[in-house]
Formats: sequence, structure tokens, C-alpha cells
Amino acid sequence: MSLILETRDLAKSYGQFQAVKGMSLQVVQGAIYGFVGPNGAGKTTTMRIITTLLEPTSGEAYVGGHSVRSAPDDVRRLIGYMPDFFGVYDDMTVWEYLDFFAACYKVPDAQRRRLIDDLLELVDLGHKRDVQVDTLSRGMKQRLCLARTLAHDPQVLILDEPASGLDPRARVEIRELLVELSRMGKTVFFSTHILADVAEICTHIGIVEGGRLVAQGSMADMQRQLRPHRTLRVQFLALQDVLTRAQSVVFGREGVLAVRPIDDDEGPPTLEVDFGGDAAGVSLLLSLLVAQKLPVLHFSETRQELEDVFMQITNGARTS
Amino acid sequence: MTTTAVPEAQGSGPAQQSQPPINGLRQLVSDVLSINPVVLKELRGRMRGARAFVVLTVYLVLLAGFVIFLYYLYSASTATAFSASQRGLVGKFVFGGVVGIELLLVCFIAPAFTVGAVSGERERQTYDLLRTTLLPARSLVLGKLGSALVYILLLLFTALPLQSLAFLLGGVAIEELVLATLLLVTCAFLFSSAGVYFSSLMRRTLGATVLTFGFVLLSLLALPLLLIPLLVFSSAFSFFGSPSVLVQAVMLYAGLLLSATNPIATMIISEVMIVDQTTGLWYATVPLSDPMSGAIGFTAYVPSPWMLFTVFAGVLGVIFVLLAVLNVSRRER
Repeated sequence: MSLILETRDLAKSYGQFQAVKGMSLQVVQGAIYGFVGPNGAGKTTTMRIITTLLEPTSGEAYVGGHSVRSAPDDVRRLIGYMPDFFGVYDDMTVWEYLDFFAACYKVPDAQRRRLIDDLLELVDLGHKRDVQVDTLSRGMKQRLCLARTLAHDPQVLILDEPASGLDPRARVEIRELLVELSRMGKTVFFSTHILADVAEICTHIGIVEGGRLVAQGSMADMQRQLRPHRTLRVQFLALQDVLTRAQSVVFGREGVLAVRPIDDDEGPPTLEVDFGGDAAGVSLLLSLLVAQKLPVLHFSETRQELEDVFMQITNGARTS
Repeated sequence: MTTTAVPEAQGSGPAQQSQPPINGLRQLVSDVLSINPVVLKELRGRMRGARAFVVLTVYLVLLAGFVIFLYYLYSASTATAFSASQRGLVGKFVFGGVVGIELLLVCFIAPAFTVGAVSGERERQTYDLLRTTLLPARSLVLGKLGSALVYILLLLFTALPLQSLAFLLGGVAIEELVLATLLLVTCAFLFSSAGVYFSSLMRRTLGATVLTFGFVLLSLLALPLLLIPLLVFSSAFSFFGSPSVLVQAVMLYAGLLLSATNPIATMIISEVMIVDQTTGLWYATVPLSDPMSGAIGFTAYVPSPWMLFTVFAGVLGVIFVLLAVLNVSRRER
């Protein structure tokens, strides 16, 4: 797969403060790339450099092979940028808003009417065509802003916190729109705090902390890298010494790395097993427990949530 | 396996070709003549609804009321019926009054239209959106300036019939009307450009407003303030006797240059030169006498200050526009 967006040792300093430190991003064409990090991590600064708004202190950024430093117009032709705020013009209708920006992107007059109708249909705002922009709800404004970024049919969408401040329904609508745009062949690069959104729709993720990119890759790779073993969770009927017996069956078996009994009043007796073997080994472990007539209620592999991945990575970055 | 996004890599696909460099002057003319999206947006916003027409109507009613007031003021001061020469004076009085009001309007309203041109976009948080489009910085600046000037020209040209009332009374030549309009348009360009420049320089419209109106007041008041010490100096100088021809010539041209920086002084001196039968629209001849012999030592040709002012304001206005384009095109650091 080819890269559509790349930064190399990108850095940005404001006096003594380093907002971005040697950021080297790689975004493949067609990806939905979640750029995740806490407030002040350098996400917006990086995006503003990529969108040609901000001069980097050092390093380079390329979009579609064009340098943001030396060919900003070529970069602007390829990107659609949505900042984390919505700029509103007074006395402007939805149609005029899109017409103005389409004209700014040099879309010929003859094509604009059709284009605007198509864009409004895509973001489900066709019925608001002649309504004043400042009377729209926040979710609608966000969708209109997304439509604006598409006016010149860009290859890459750079969206800064697109779901920030939206209600749950509007968030879902924006998420669905991003997936739809990805199906249309656009590369979506967006920053967010909302890890659920990333887990739901992203194909790739980059985690940024203190101005540094601490991890990046496909979602599957990232989870594999961060969790070298499986964690199995086995629940039993609450019988006398069930956990002690289960521990003795499991302990010392091939692939078993650690065993943790959990016996509290909140649920059935549970055993957590860190297991380094393959799927056949997992199956064998279950059959051993059953063969010893242990009353297994539930047997599952726990999935590591993205929140855990994020905390693990960012804590590591803080301590290193 | 991924390939790099930089140009030297083969895998990133063909990079989109840059636009061939376009002749700057041709592009500039094209920008001015074609419908600039910024002009269209600004005019849509400005002319929408009743506001623009209410402003225009109120302005014309007030101006017409002022003309009627001037007419009755003058006629009340003369008990008998007007003779032809008196009618001419009334005509000049009315014309001068209307032009004076328009000059004040241009000096204070023209910059007010442009002072939020760029800083207002920053405050509305639309500046970044515009800067990531393909809209060149010069189109943004010229669009803002052009839309403001179009509205000011509308105000000026709708007042032309009121100025032309002077023709019914006589005493005003057509070249005076043309000259007054030229100077008003030049002032509008200068002060609108100053507004755009300071707006591009400051992050907030408040700061841009302070600087712009500071510049306007300096343009209007600097000359009178400078004249006071100059008069004191010249009277002290005359105490030592009449100055030589050279000193007289230097003082004459320095005074001319100074007056050509002030629109009010320019209008008054240009009008005086037109009215005076010995001078004219374009230039005057001033004989400078030798203090020793009293004979004419040198005849100075003095161009009418409206020409100098037009060039001065035009060049300064263009400089403001170019600096504003530079500020807008500059990437944030």
C-alpha cells in the first residue's frame, strides 16, 4: 500500500516549549487513521503543519508526495481540512456557504449547483439548503463543515476532533459519514479523545503523548504488539475448594504463564490465566478442566480494550 | 509493505502537477475583473435585507437636508433677490458643503468597512478555513477591499445629483465636480487600504481599529499641527529680513508637498487655484522677488496639489495593499 501522508522528524517549538518532537507519521491511502492523544499532546499542531497553516521548526511533511513547505498549493488541492471549531458567517445560507467555499476551491460555476446538491444529500442536509447557517444545530454544522471539506473532491480528509461536543446521535452520524467517505476512497485522518470511536471505525491508529508519536500501526498489529499473550477467564459454580482444584489442574501446564484466582462476593469464583500457547492449547486447557469434573460456567478469552492499550502506551511514554 | 509519500519514491503514485506559473499582472487583472468569490460573498452579506437600503436612504435624506439648510442659510443672509454672481456663490457654497460632508464620510466610513476584513475572519474562526482553500492571499485582500470600495462608490455616486444642484445655481465648473469625485475616490482607496493593512497586521479588530483611525486622524490633523510651529518659525525668520529667492522656493515647494499629504488642504488649495483666474486646474506660476533689488528673480511653476495628492495616496494605498497580501500569505510561525 502506498503512503498518502507522511511526516519525517517533524518538530515545532514555541520558544523553549516543544509542542511536537520528531513526529514521523505514516498514513496509507484509504485508511481511517485515528490520531489519539491527551489534550496538549501536539495533535492540532501537527495537523496545522500538515494543512500548511503552520511553519514547522524542523522536519518535513508530505501529502500525496508534495511537501507542505515547498508546494503548499498542491497540498491544499489534495486535502480537506476541518478544524475543531466551526467558523460561521452571519447572513449566509447553507447553499451560499458551500457555494462560497467551492468557488474558493476554484470549482467552475457550472458544476457548483450540482455539486452542492450532491454534498448536501451526502451529509443529509438537503432539506436545510436555504436555511441560515447560524441557525443549524451543532451536529448539522459539523456535517455541513464536513461537506465543505469535500467541495473540491480531496483525497485526504484531515479532521480535528470531528465528534467533539456532539450529542450521541450526532456522533454516530459523523462516524457513519467517515466510514462512508472511506468507502468512497478517501483517506480519513482524524484526531480524537474518544477511544470508542477509534475502536469502532479506525483501520489504523497513532498514539501521541507529549509531542511524540509513541505508537502507530494497524489496529490489529497494535493490539498484538501490546499483548504478547492471551488472558483466559474461567468461571465456576461456587463449590467448596473449586478454585484450589482448578489451580492445581492448570498450574504448570505448557503455555501457562500465570494463574490468578478471583474469589469475592460479587460474582462466581473465577480464575484468570495468562496463556502463551495457541488456539489448540486453549482448547486442551478447557478439556482438562472438564475432564477433572470441575463445574465450568463460562470460559472466554478477554479482549484488551483500547482504553487499556492507550493507558499502557501513554504510561510507558511518561515513565521513559 | 508501504511506500513513502515523498516525491522520490515510486510507490506513492503520480504526484499532481503544479499549476504553471501565471503572469502576475494578468492574474491580478483577471482577479479584479472576474467575480472574486470574496467580493460576491461580501456584497451578498452587505446588500441582503433592508439594512443597506435604509443606510443609503438615511444618508441621502440627511445630505439633502444639509443642502436645503445651506441654501436657506445663505438666502436668509441676503435680503434682496440673488444676482447672477450671488447665485454662483450659493452654488459654490452648496457644492463645497456636500463635498466636505462626503470627505468626512469617506475618511471615517471607508476604513470602518475594511478594518475587520482579515481580523474579523480570525475572530469568526473562518480564517484558517479560507487559508487552506486555493484562494490566493491577493484575492482575499482585493476581494475585501473591492467590496468595501464598491459600497463607498455607491454612496458617493448616489450623492452626485445633490452635488449637481450647484449647476442650477451656477458658479461650479464641470472640472470641479470631476476633481472632487477623483479626490474622494482616492481618499476612499487610501483609507480602505489602510484598514485592510492594519486588519491583516493585528489579531483583533479592536487593535486594528485603533491603528487605522490613528492613521486617519494623523492624515487629517498632522498638517495643521505642523503648521503652527512652522508659522512661528517663519515669522521669526522674517525678523531677520526677507528670505532669498532660494529659501522662498524651498519653502513654497515644501509647503506644497506638505499640503498634498492632507486631503482637506489639497481640496481647498486646488479649488482656490481653479477659482483664481491667474492660475488654473493644473498649475500656477508664482513670481519670487529678490529681497535686495525687489525685481522678479525666479518664476516658480507650482503644480496643483490634487495631482500630488492623487499620486501620493495612490502609491501609499498600493503599498498598504501589498503589505496586507504579504501578511495574509505568510504562514503562522
